Amino acid sequence: MSSGSSCSQTPSRAIPATRRVVLGDGVHLPPGDYSTTPGGTLFSTTPGGTRIIYDRKFLMECRNSPVTKTPPRDLPTIPGVTSPVGDEPPTEASQDHLSSSPEDKPAGGEESQFEMDI
Amino acid sequence: MNNKFDALKDDDSGDHDQNEENGAQKDGEKEKTERDKSQSSSKRKAVVPGPAEHPLQYNYTFWYSRRTPGRPTSSQSYEQNVKQIGTFASVEQFWRFYSHMVRPGDLTGHSDFHLFKEGIKPMWEDDANKNGGKWIIRLRKGLASRCWENLILAMLGEQFMVGEEICGAVVSVRFQEDIISIWNKTASDQATTARIRDTLRRVLNLPPNTIMEYKTHTDSIKCLSCSPLLYEGRRDHVYKPELSTERDQYYE
Repeated sequence: MSSGSSCSQTPSRAIPATRRVVLGDGVHLPPGDYSTTPGGTLFSTTPGGTRIIYDRKFLMECRNSPVTKTPPRDLPTIPGVTSPVGDEPPTEASQDHLSSSPEDKPAGGEESQFEMDI
Repeated sequence: MNNKFDALKDDDSGDHDQNEENGAQKDGEKEKTERDKSQSSSKRKAVVPGPAEHPLQYNYTFWYSRRTPGRPTSSQSYEQNVKQIGTFASVEQFWRFYSHMVRPGDLTGHSDFHLFKEGIKPMWEDDANKNGGKWIIRLRKGLASRCWENLILAMLGEQFMVGEEICGAVVSVRFQEDIISIWNKTASDQATTARIRDTLRRVLNLPPNTIMEYKTHTDSIKCLSCSPLLYEGRRDHVYKPELSTERDQYYE
């Protein structure tokens, strides 16, 4: 079977709530059409091409990753939104972030553009 | 992140097109690299997943807006009121933002969170949105935080299975109710909008009688400028009229 024809035959089927793949052997999977992410979530071939799919459970597990504990370096300070109302701005996290460019300053200076009635 | 592009570039210059297909691909990569570089020199660096992080299908940008009382909701003043919070490329980067933002249910006043694919502004007028529309679900107070989380996790995890169609999602905190919506590119594509609706029902765990309304952005734009009477005459633009509620004054 080709993955293309199987996709076009089932365009409107409901997507299962949980992704459970049971395979006795490899014959059910066309080689090359399926793969896994580093976390083990299945990539699959859809009409739009290969896509990176994660279910809710997997995403929630990633929430506990240590990297999520520190705010992004360039997180703007918006009282009541990214920081408590009336709280002083959080100190800039010195954690190594994906962007280490010096011109990537925290956007705190733009605050005045934003009118907040606190 | 830098080293990724640098590595690509080195690879580029060192390789002498062993076969055409390979060469074409590499040229494509090179163009991408240069485009990214020119963007980063003028603006900021491309956001990419960190080492050992889980990449998302698309990069997304969080936005926040809050209406200034007393101002008209023209698109100009709207754009001024929308503030970028930041862009992420991986699951972990998403949680880094999300964990340091308040939940929608704790926002005060007339405010919204928007989560859109990087490069798409949360505005009807954006090229990606101008032929599009959105599914709208009105929520009684107290449900917004949970529904919003489920909605955006489904979007980030590519649960909608509608190819490139999804543009972004919005949660709007209002006086008596909260509204969540998901925007797609092509309002006239009924197969897509039906699939989005069904996925919404599944991921939000909505009761079967929940009213969902699809609204095209062209209708949204019209309602800003036309009288209610004229607007009534344009009901034929409403997709899925049997699902539409009283189309009251939802202009956002």
